[in-house]
Amino acid sequence: MKVEIDSFSGYRIYPSKGRLFVRGDSKIFRFATSKNESLFLQRKNPRKIAWTQVYRRMHKKGITEEVAKKRSRRTVKHQRGIVGADLASIIARRNQTAQARNEARQAAIAKAKSEKREKEKDKATNKPKAPRGPAGAPKISRQQMKGSKGGR
Amino acid sequence: MIGLKGTLNVIDNSGALLVECVNVLKNKVNNGWGSVGDEIVCVVKRARAISAAQQASATAVKVRRGDVRRAVIVRTAKAVRRPDGRLVKFDDNAAVLLNNKREMLGTRIGGVVSADLRMKGWGKIVSLAPKVV
Repeated sequence: MKVEIDSFSGYRIYPSKGRLFVRGDSKIFRFATSKNESLFLQRKNPRKIAWTQVYRRMHKKGITEEVAKKRSRRTVKHQRGIVGADLASIIARRNQTAQARNEARQAAIAKAKSEKREKEKDKATNKPKAPRGPAGAPKISRQQMKGSKGGR
Repeated sequence: MIGLKGTLNVIDNSGALLVECVNVLKNKVNNGWGSVGDEIVCVVKRARAISAAQQASATAVKVRRGDVRRAVIVRTAKAVRRPDGRLVKFDDNAAVLLNNKREMLGTRIGGVVSADLRMKGWGKIVSLAPKVV
């Protein structure tokens, strides 16, 4: 059992009530009463007839209980890992304390310094003594600069 | 409620456009009414023009003006009651032409037909119709 709605007024049509009208263009209209049917056939506009549902909806009559349009659509942001860094490493990085970061930086600098020193030693043993003198001095000074910056 | 002199639109492709009812076959008297699913005898009042080439063709099922044929009513403007108590009415009266053996003359149906036809035994027409209400 299906309760239809009236095409003119929006009333509910129970079984065995009302009429069904099929227009020339095969469009179906249901009427609950002869009143609705008559007004439809007179080509009245339901939007202007005060007791129809269409009119009431349009003029917002009697809708105080349901507040129109509750806006509660906030998208939740989810943390996602990307190709280069999975979720665990992102969180680990974020939760690293400043101290830990500093220590890591120091370690990296020390490592770089030692590596460079190794490189210098290799170069010194391979190259002849003449260019080494003037080349050595500025290099050491640069290292010192780097060291001073890191040490602060 | 189709009776003597009632006009119906023809909605198949038999070539007729408008037919006028002459007799309702289910009634033994002349003053009865026909409804959806009833067979009637009718006269073709208006028909589609047939070109000379089509006249000579084998599939000459086309009817001419003035032909007396049988037809079955498929739509009525008078409301028809359904078993669940509903009333269904259409915008116009329409029919589909038949031959004396209750077979359709046309091959296609254009338009909506009433579902009451199925109950009266015209399943073939219902199956050909594009829309059944």
